[in-house]
Amino acid sequence: MVQNRNKFIELFIGNIANVIVHEILELAIGKELIANKYRKELMASFEIAKRYREKINPTNRLLRDKDAGYIKNKIINEVRAELNIRISKGYKNIDLNLIEKLIDKALKNTNIA
Amino acid sequence: MEIIGKVSTGSKMDQIYIPKNRNGFAIGNYVIIKPLEESKSREKENFVEKLYFYGVKKLEPVKLDIIGEIMRIIDNTFGNYENVFITGSFLEEGFHFNDIDILIVTENKINQKVLEWDIKRKTGVKIHILFLSNKELLIGLKTDPLYQIMLSKCISKKRFVYNIKPKINYKILDLHLLKSKILIDNFDVLNGDEKYYLTRNIIAIYLYLGNNKINKELVDNKIRAVFDMKDIKELKQNLIDKRDFLKKYKSIYDKTFSKILGGIKSGSKQK
Repeated sequence: MVQNRNKFIELFIGNIANVIVHEILELAIGKELIANKYRKELMASFEIAKRYREKINPTNRLLRDKDAGYIKNKIINEVRAELNIRISKGYKNIDLNLIEKLIDKALKNTNIA
Repeated sequence: MEIIGKVSTGSKMDQIYIPKNRNGFAIGNYVIIKPLEESKSREKENFVEKLYFYGVKKLEPVKLDIIGEIMRIIDNTFGNYENVFITGSFLEEGFHFNDIDILIVTENKINQKVLEWDIKRKTGVKIHILFLSNKELLIGLKTDPLYQIMLSKCISKKRFVYNIKPKINYKILDLHLLKSKILIDNFDVLNGDEKYYLTRNIIAIYLYLGNNKINKELVDNKIRAVFDMKDIKELKQNLIDKRDFLKKYKSIYDKTFSKILGGIKSGSKQK
């Protein structure tokens, strides 16, 4: 059971990291993304992350500080790594300062921290 | 004399109430009752006759009937549009569809939920409506391969010709490709349709980078070739071998991602 919990936590982290990378890239692209409505309708990582959250105990209250801290740090590292790949290729306007703020919001919305 | 009445529920039998003060319909007379909606059926047929079909080779008559009814409802409740498209899985052969995708091109705002509810109430089918302005549609067709796929197989209310020169924007494609990344880690929780959409997204971007002009058939053929499938239904019905599929999926994802990064790199150098 503990193994399952850890697996779900890792899957949750991967999906939230994907959401945050997506949000930051969307902001970096800005006005060019005018025709994104049709895409927005497609299934999002956030929905899948919520499915995993429902399987991570405790489901109805915040996680322990230790678990929440681990999740937050791991998401920060994953997001930073993904964005750095792009920055190294010359991608402009990526605001790394947004990472922590957006993660905090996502963790709050999923009842993690 | 004609009277319009509403059928109401009774305890043992249902009834239609008519006013006591009337000319005709005397007590004891026999009358014919027929639905008022029937007069609309000819109107519905007219709508079907005037539709434009793109990439749709065959469609079941009952679906045509539903489309005619949808067009009639949209026309009667919301005539102020530039075009209406029916697209998505509803146009595939058979009845394996979740809902009907309707794209309304308009500059005006309308309550989407109300229109969806109204169409669902009258046709009995779940509806999904997307409103786009003409500008949004044109930019979508220019920069996003999924828009091209969407309109490569559709039925429209008005004639639709688009000769738009695609403009590759690597940053936008990067964002679109990111959506498909979730399949790699979440294979077990996704159903067949979800896997198909995510795979179609990658393949569409991959082909778009090489060819620019794509359509649904081209993308489905490529999926079959890359993943060695006889029929696309194998993917839609979740009948694929996880290990083999993911190996090929990761490979095509990495290839596409590196093409995009290459494009971003050369784009930034040019600036």
